[in-house]
Amino acid sequence: MGKYILRRLISVIPTLIGVTLVIFLFQRLIPGDPAVAMLGEHASEDNVARIRQQLGLDRPAFLDRDALVEGNLPGFFDSQYVRYFNRLLHFDLGDSIHRRIPVAATLKERFPATLELALLSMFFALLIGIPVGIASASRRNSWLDGTTMIGSLLGVSIPIFWLGIMEIMLFSVFLRWLPSGSRLSPGVSITPITNLLLLDSLLTGNFAGFWDAFKHIIMPAVALATIPTAIITRMTRSSMLDVLQEDYIRTAEAKGLAERVVLYRHALKNAFLPVITIIGIQAGSLLAGAVLTETIFSWPGIGKWVYDSILGRDYPIVQGVTLLIAIIFLLVNLLVDVSYAVLDPRISYD
Amino acid sequence: MSTQLPELEVLTEYAVREHRSLWLDAWRRLKSSPTAMLGLVVVAIFLLSAVSAHFFWKYDPRTDLDYSSKLLAPNLISTAEKPVIHIFGTDKLGRDIFTRVVHGGWNSLRVGLVAVGISLTVGCLLGLFAGFFESFDMNFKEKLALMGALGLAIGLLPAWIARQWFQTLIFGALGVVSVFLEKKLARVRMRPVLFAAAGALLGGLSGLLVAPLVGLVCAFVGLLIGWLLNKPVNGKTFSSITMRLMDVLLSFPSYLLAIAIVAFLGPGLEKGMIAIGVVGIPVYARLARSAVLSVSQKEYVLASQSVGEGHGRILFKHVMPNILSPIIVQATMGLASAILSAAALGFLGLGAIPPEPEWGAMLGDSYKYLSSGAWWAVLFPGLAIVFSVLGFNLLGDGLRDALDPKMRAK
Repeated sequence: MGKYILRRLISVIPTLIGVTLVIFLFQRLIPGDPAVAMLGEHASEDNVARIRQQLGLDRPAFLDRDALVEGNLPGFFDSQYVRYFNRLLHFDLGDSIHRRIPVAATLKERFPATLELALLSMFFALLIGIPVGIASASRRNSWLDGTTMIGSLLGVSIPIFWLGIMEIMLFSVFLRWLPSGSRLSPGVSITPITNLLLLDSLLTGNFAGFWDAFKHIIMPAVALATIPTAIITRMTRSSMLDVLQEDYIRTAEAKGLAERVVLYRHALKNAFLPVITIIGIQAGSLLAGAVLTETIFSWPGIGKWVYDSILGRDYPIVQGVTLLIAIIFLLVNLLVDVSYAVLDPRISYD
Repeated sequence: MSTQLPELEVLTEYAVREHRSLWLDAWRRLKSSPTAMLGLVVVAIFLLSAVSAHFFWKYDPRTDLDYSSKLLAPNLISTAEKPVIHIFGTDKLGRDIFTRVVHGGWNSLRVGLVAVGISLTVGCLLGLFAGFFESFDMNFKEKLALMGALGLAIGLLPAWIARQWFQTLIFGALGVVSVFLEKKLARVRMRPVLFAAAGALLGGLSGLLVAPLVGLVCAFVGLLIGWLLNKPVNGKTFSSITMRLMDVLLSFPSYLLAIAIVAFLGPGLEKGMIAIGVVGIPVYARLARSAVLSVSQKEYVLASQSVGEGHGRILFKHVMPNILSPIIVQATMGLASAILSAAALGFLGLGAIPPEPEWGAMLGDSYKYLSSGAWWAVLFPGLAIVFSVLGFNLLGDGLRDALDPKMRAK
């Protein structure tokens, strides 16, 4: 088991290197010179050259073949990509072009906001998706099943940014019940512990703060949760339908066990593996979907940040956030694979 | 013996039933599903309105503005106050939203078709070959092609380092030679060493022509390449290389990858199409590969192989038609998600460039005016997205049931 986890961890490395290559290539594909972007159109050539050297932009992209001709072996490997990779190993994601602050520092500051949003959305999705999926599988072809299927198709068909706009229109503009953006109302403060505001306010017993944070997070979380809810519902339903045909379910029913016990103890346990895979995939897309949701709700997380940076052509930020999300995505998939081994003793990994 | 077993009855009924083609059968099943037919109707309305608007309804977004009728609420009848009928209202530039929603359909349709076209073609071909060669041994010619191409491709590295393009040809040739000698050298234990030495020598000698250190590095790279090329390759090599590349693409959440690609390519509908298309490739590659893997084990494929049919014939005549149905379903659903992604890009200002009518971009334009109560400017473009996407999803769902009766029987 430990061996399997280790092997899976090692197999992530080539993919990770591939990911850094792709992200690095993006940077190379940008039209225009980052040094000019930093200094502005009217900078003198000397200054541009100096900045280019500072940023290492005067080095070749991958390998310096001219250094070899000169007989300089270390120089051969001294390239932009190698430097970039080396910096990554030291958790250095570079500096923001406009604000000249390390990307990693702002990332640390902004990531909890996105994490909180994603966690709450996933919580909603599981809270609704799994019971509804089970109920509709156990009453196949009933009106509940039909509604669930249509509802889940509708859920994957609604653009989350439009849903967000509609929520704001209804609850903020017309009804004036909920605030339309940011994490807290001005004047409300919560002592930071984990920087997940809902959790922090509960830990410090600040219930007024909790209520305020909750009013702010509920709309974006619901918008972000639609797609995962729909997909988890569908997956739970179809996986349960598979399992409910098995002989041991008939046996359990024949024994006279209550329906609830059969469904949750016998069926759900066996139907859960495909659902876990889907949950893993959805966790990654939650982070990506945050770009749209956070933009609409002015949520100060990494999604809005990356969007602002795309518009402002601040590429180190775009690269850093993309890399972080890709790494999280890979790790979640790894976790899913490992959880298979833990949850299903029939699967052996030696 | 007067009573027949129910299974037998089904069998006899099946035997005497008139012959129907797969597609006709599927169509009958599709017709019997109300949700699928609803999807078909919605898709038909979407296609008809988009195509006919593009060809028969002249609209120039660049000249369309009228400041005297900014942000008008929908009116269905002509009154003295509002003489012109705007059934969906007007936007911040006084443009009729209904006109723009209908014309926006053409753009969404274009994005959907091109993006799905890209991911379908590239993804399916990759998946088809990967799955096929994973389950069948490559023949001599295919091995030659694969090893030659592999040699040429890796040979690019030393060739680039030494600025000697002929080195790619050398390593391509080495790959070809390794296939020719595969049988003869099969028992030779020293074969890896032999090939590594050959690679080192070939690369090193040509590198020495440039500079001593270049020779050294080329010899080292040549050593690795030679060692790599000595291994008897089979289809699994090809498959695992392809699938590993797909893994890298898949390790980015699709939205984010599309956004990143467009962020770097610059905005525009065409670039959005490319981005969404590229992002979709791994889905089709994986789907096609797994479908091929399961079809390859079927008796009819083994039969056609044992009567000596060529690989190309087996692949395109026997395997391909039998993996079509999951791919058709995926493509229908893919159209839906491509339309969604295009709208998301447009909303973020990374897709269609204004004033081009595009549903996502229209939303992005108008949602800032929400606080003034102009609900119609965001409601209708959004509904257009929801209905067309839902239509394709309903149709795809119905197609899955119709094309795969086994799934339905469950």
